[in-house]
Amino acid sequence: MAAPLELSCWGGGWGLPSVHSESLVVMAYAKFSGAPLKVNVIDNTWRGSRGDVPILTTKDNIVSQPAKILNFLRKQKYNADYELSARQGADTLAYIALLEEKLLPAVLHTFWVENDNYFTVTKPWFASRIPFPLSLILPGRMSKGALNRILLTRGEPPLYHLREVEAQIYRDAKECLNLLSHRLGTSQFFFGDMPSTLDAYVFGFLAPLYKVRFPKVQLQEHLKQLSNLCRFCDDILNSYFRHSLGDG
Amino acid sequence: MSLVAEAFVSQIAAAEPWPENATLYQQLKGEQILLSDNAASLAVQAFLQMCNLPIKVVCRANAEYMSPSGKVPFIHVGNQVVSELGPIVQFVKAKGHSLSDGLDEVQKAEMKAYMELVNNMLLTAELYLQWCDEATVGEITHARYGSPYPWPLNHILAYQKQWEVRRKMKAIGWGKKTLDQVLEDVDQCCQALSQRLGTQPYFFNKQPTELDALVFGHLYTILTTQLTSDELSEKVKNYSNLLAFCRRIEQHYFEDRVLKKHSRWYFQEWLHRTET
Repeated sequence: MAAPLELSCWGGGWGLPSVHSESLVVMAYAKFSGAPLKVNVIDNTWRGSRGDVPILTTKDNIVSQPAKILNFLRKQKYNADYELSARQGADTLAYIALLEEKLLPAVLHTFWVENDNYFTVTKPWFASRIPFPLSLILPGRMSKGALNRILLTRGEPPLYHLREVEAQIYRDAKECLNLLSHRLGTSQFFFGDMPSTLDAYVFGFLAPLYKVRFPKVQLQEHLKQLSNLCRFCDDILNSYFRHSLGDG
Repeated sequence: MSLVAEAFVSQIAAAEPWPENATLYQQLKGEQILLSDNAASLAVQAFLQMCNLPIKVVCRANAEYMSPSGKVPFIHVGNQVVSELGPIVQFVKAKGHSLSDGLDEVQKAEMKAYMELVNNMLLTAELYLQWCDEATVGEITHARYGSPYPWPLNHILAYQKQWEVRRKMKAIGWGKKTLDQVLEDVDQCCQALSQRLGTQPYFFNKQPTELDALVFGHLYTILTTQLTSDELSEKVKNYSNLLAFCRRIEQHYFEDRVLKKHSRWYFQEWLHRTET
C-alpha cells in the first residue's frame, strides 16, 4: 500500500478525464475504492509505452488490462465491492459480460470504424498524442484491431462483411442500453448508494459515448434519450472527477 | 438478416402453428460433434422441451455448412431455417410460445446478462480448450472434426477451423491466456451461476427460462464429456447446487430420452485407444 501506484493512460477531452473506455474504467474504480493513483497521461513525447494501455506500474509489478488491474487493486485492499452480497457480485460479472458482448462492438464501431467519426475525430485526437512517425501507424493499427474484433465476434464465416453486421450490432447496443436503463431505474448507482465495480465499467463504456462530439451519432442519440443513464454519468463526473475536468 | 427481412420472417412465423415435423440439425453424435457444439444443441433441445414443442434431432456431417449462419444447431420448421439459441428463442416467441413473458423488465435484463456471461466465459473457455490446448487438439478435436471426410480434406478442414478459432481468441484477448487462467475463469463463472441460483429450483424461481436451458446445455455437456483430463468438469462439480440443477432438468424434461448416450462418445474412443 505504501508503494506508489502509477497509471499510464490516454488523456481526456470533452469534459472527460479520459476518452478511452478501458482507461476510464480503471480511473473510476480507483476513485471509488480510494486507491491513490498517479495518472500519467500519454503525450507525444517518447516517454512510456503505448501498447496495451491502460497500464498500472508499481515498484515491482506491471499490470495491464482493466480486469487484471482491478484484481490487483483489490488484492492491495482497495475494494469497491466490499459492501456487495455474493449475489450482487455474481450480477456484476453477468452485467460486465453483457457490456462486452452487446455494447462494446457498437462503441468500437462508432469510434474506430465509422469513417466520418474516425477520420474527423478519433484519428486526429489520438495522432496528436502519439509521437511522429508512430502517429502515422498506430491509429490505423488500432482501427484495424477494432474492425477485426467486431468481424470475428459478430461476423458470419466464411464471409466477413461489415455491412451485414452493422445493423445487428447497433440494434444489440440499443437493446443493451435499454436494459441498463431498466436495471438502474431511479437509483444513484447500480447497487444502492455506493459505487462499485459495475458502476466503474458502465461509466467507462458510456461516458465517452455520451460526451465525445461525433458527426455520426445514432448510438449517442439513443443514449441521450435514456435520461437516467446520462444523469448517472454526470453524477460521477461531478462527484469524483471535478478537479481533473480542467485537463484537455 | 436485415431489419426488414427479420420483420417479414416474424410475420410468416406468426402465421403458422408449430408443425409436428420440426427438425433440429447437428453434427454426427458419435464421432464428429465437439463439446461446444453439443452444448449449444442440448441448450436448444432443452429450451424446446421446456416450451413443450416437439422436435426431432437429425445428425448430418455437414450440418455446419447447411446452417444459415454457419453455427449449429439450426432448426427447420415449416419452410424456415433458424440457427442459434438467440434467434430460435425470438422465432418461437413469434409463434406465441415464450418462457420469459412472466418476468419484469429488470428480471429480463438480468436474464440476458447471465446468458451473455455463459456465452462470454463458458462457451469461450470450451472453444479455447478444444482448439487452443495442444493436448486436446491433438488427441481429440482434430480427429473428431475431420472424421466424416477423406484424407486430406479432414486435415485441411480441421486446420482451417483451428486457425479461425485462434484468430478470434486473439481478437478478444484470450490468445495469451494459459489453460490455468481459463480454468480460473470457468470457476469464476460457475461460482457466479451458483450464487445466482442459490437454493431455487430454477434461475427465476419456479419456472425455467431460456437461461436455464442454456446453462443446462453447457454444464451437462461439460459434466458428461470425457476429455484428456477432468479439470474442466471438476470445476463444475465443486458447486453442488449446479449439479442438482442439471439432474433436475434431466429428470423433468429428458426422462423419456436416454441422454446418457451422449456421454459415451469420448469415453468409447478413449476405451478403444487404451485397448489397442
